[in-house]
Amino acid sequence: MKSKERVGIKGYGAYIPFQRLPSTEVARVWKGGGSGPNLEKAVASIDEDTVTMAIEASQYAMKMAGIEELGAIFVGTESKPYAVKPTSTIVAQALGQHYTLAADLEFACKAATEAMQVITGLVGSGMIQNGLAIGVDTAQGRPGDELEYTAASGSAAFVISKFDKDAIVSVDCSASFVSDTGDFWRRAQEKYPRHLSRFTGEPAYFFHVEKSVRKLFEETGLKPSDFTYAVFHQPNPRFPVEVAARLGFTAGQIKTGLLNPLIGNTYAASSPIGLAAVLDEAKPGDKILLASFGSGAGSDAFSFTVQNAIEKSRGVSPTVKSMIAKGTKIDYSIYTKFRGKLTK
Amino acid sequence: MKAYVASVGLEKVGDHWNESLLDLAVSASLKALDGRKAAPQQVIVGNMFSSAGARQEHLGALLASSLGLKGTPAYKVESACASGSTAFDVAYSLVKSGAIDSVLVVGVEKMRDVEPEEVSLALAMAESVEYTQFVGASFAALNGLLARHYMERENVSRDDLSALPVLSHANAVTAEHAQFRKAITPEVVARSAMVADPLRLFDCAPVGDGAAAALLVNENAIGRAKSGLVEVLGGAIATTEFSVYERKDMLRFEATEMAFRRALEQAGLPASKVGLIETHDAFSVVAALSLEAMGVSKKGRATMDAKEGRFNLDGDIPINTFGGLKARGHPVGATGVYQIAEAYLQLTDAAGKNKVKDLDYAVTQNVGGVDTSSVVHVFGRAQ
Amino acid sequence: MAIQFWRIRDRYYRLMGNRCDDCGAEFFPPVYRCRDCGSRHLADKDMPRTGKIMTHTQLHEPLPGFESEVPLNLAVIELQNGARVLAQIVDTPQEKIETGARVRAVIRRVQVDGDSGQILYGYKFVVG
Repeated sequence: MKSKERVGIKGYGAYIPFQRLPSTEVARVWKGGGSGPNLEKAVASIDEDTVTMAIEASQYAMKMAGIEELGAIFVGTESKPYAVKPTSTIVAQALGQHYTLAADLEFACKAATEAMQVITGLVGSGMIQNGLAIGVDTAQGRPGDELEYTAASGSAAFVISKFDKDAIVSVDCSASFVSDTGDFWRRAQEKYPRHLSRFTGEPAYFFHVEKSVRKLFEETGLKPSDFTYAVFHQPNPRFPVEVAARLGFTAGQIKTGLLNPLIGNTYAASSPIGLAAVLDEAKPGDKILLASFGSGAGSDAFSFTVQNAIEKSRGVSPTVKSMIAKGTKIDYSIYTKFRGKLTK
Repeated sequence: MKAYVASVGLEKVGDHWNESLLDLAVSASLKALDGRKAAPQQVIVGNMFSSAGARQEHLGALLASSLGLKGTPAYKVESACASGSTAFDVAYSLVKSGAIDSVLVVGVEKMRDVEPEEVSLALAMAESVEYTQFVGASFAALNGLLARHYMERENVSRDDLSALPVLSHANAVTAEHAQFRKAITPEVVARSAMVADPLRLFDCAPVGDGAAAALLVNENAIGRAKSGLVEVLGGAIATTEFSVYERKDMLRFEATEMAFRRALEQAGLPASKVGLIETHDAFSVVAALSLEAMGVSKKGRATMDAKEGRFNLDGDIPINTFGGLKARGHPVGATGVYQIAEAYLQLTDAAGKNKVKDLDYAVTQNVGGVDTSSVVHVFGRAQ
Repeated sequence: MAIQFWRIRDRYYRLMGNRCDDCGAEFFPPVYRCRDCGSRHLADKDMPRTGKIMTHTQLHEPLPGFESEVPLNLAVIELQNGARVLAQIVDTPQEKIETGARVRAVIRRVQVDGDSGQILYGYKFVVG
């Protein structure tokens, strides 16, 4: 998919909360020892949620973009504090934006890239000048479940605008692939999700990501070696490495955007934070591949080209690296208190 | 005209499980009206949170009707913890001006009928709901912030601060209406549970029920008995910036400075003649800053003065002669009237073992919020 | 209660106080009358989000609704424009909370009305 008018990203921001839960802690409580596939995961504090983290990342993105008005604000999340009452209007209020589209999108871990697609369309058609796409989650794993090692909290936001000399990245092309595949789900009144085990691999993650990326290659005529960076959705440290190899990418290309080992899986923010980490160091002319995966299931693949203006964006917001470094360890008991896993 | 306190009535401060807010108010009233033929011409009730504490408003009419005073004008006056003295000050103005000849002032508060968290929430209403209560700052928290600022800026130690609650407790031992009548040591204060660091449990006035009444009259209503009269020589109320942190100098209690100066001016009395002060020790730091605002102690020196014994019953200028808010107790809306009643007992030589010798003039200082409202009255023996 | 806070949500989300058009003084919370020059010509203005701690306390007896956050760290913060804010300090090791420490504003949940009521968001501060 290519927009009629050129579209670019003018600003981006990420937010990673301070607390870190080592996977050894989860293993200590539920298995008597050992560890999970990742080292640590980022945990939202007791007074943080999807709304607060969305606003934090958005403020950085808006500061970098330096624009006055937004025509759309879409928040992609599966952990909204309200089942009914949009996160996006609270973000809008905090940013002082009122004449804007605003809605929350749900598509598991690909809701934010879905938002980026929609905004690219709105901007590309000339309906709006600037839009804000946010990916944010305070993901929850069922206590004792495999996913508890990695289910983490974080956010990333992107201001997508009509392309001009201030765009730090051009949005060149995107492709999407979906099917009805229930690898991971949460019924409406349930607190925690459920998932299948081996099924989440080949028929879910790998099938959909490979489909969207190959479609993107077809539409653009690009091949893996044309890209400097590739960022994949990262539910664990292993899947993105495996899918990168299958698609023809090297370990060096995915290194910068692979953060699961340190912060876990931030769900809708997972590949977006990876993209932010890449943008913190990418050079003009670099091409970036982004491929998300959302259970249910589907994948969005994007091709971006970094522009000269990226040099002016340095130092405006804290880098992903610096936010990861600011982590302080907590234990499982504090984690349960923070994440509301203790019922009173 | 001259205004006099003709009589007082005091309930013991404490846990009155068997008495309601009205029971306490009536009891104190009857004590103050005991033996008097003529009924008061007006009733004013001082109270802070009868709605949160007893689900009851309209206290003036409620009390007047309960006392059988049909036709009598009556209403409630509220000014947070300064409600009692504020009610008294309204009465003082009415009586001194001759507009009304006699007013029964009753301060009453019921704090034990609701749980401590509800009391905390009600007390927090003395401060901004939108910007103080909203962020989780209780009234104790505000005083904790003030205490740390005071200790850091003026080099006051934990031990220094403890001198004030120790003094209050010492005086309450022989005070019959006091809530806590046990002496304490500075160690007891320093080891008590932390409330709002650095303020500990024993730095803070307790929660309790109570009622105190005072009958104000002018020459027209004195009646036959000319003894048992104390003259009200001056009174003033001052308010300042609402929240303590909004003030340029948080350690300057300007409301108390202004009220004290104006009340003494009205009384035509130099500060050096003041023989005792009932000061507002809701928190130890508040007593210290109040004394400094009144010029009794130099800046930062109040606790040192307390340690040196200047404020003891037999010291230069006795304070909190029946235990103050800390040991006599602090049923918030009633406190101001307790202070006034205690000044009355001192000046009518009815203070028993708590008597201050050679006393001519007494001052009461009652505060609402963190010195947001300050009410000062000056009393002397009737000539 | 939600309505009382809804009407000043911009103050909470954006640390929006006001500024005196006549003498330039800035205030938070907003004032009805300039405290410096007495003018009534005031305009809403977002306050700077950095400052330093003037005094602090740790509250052990919480107000209802704040039980999960005991002990609560509170501070009077002097912002870069001279305005003062009373707020919680969060996500900071205790020993770093001291008079003079530099702080910056973040947006957090401030009050939650149980499991079915509304959530109030507002400003808090972190050291650093």
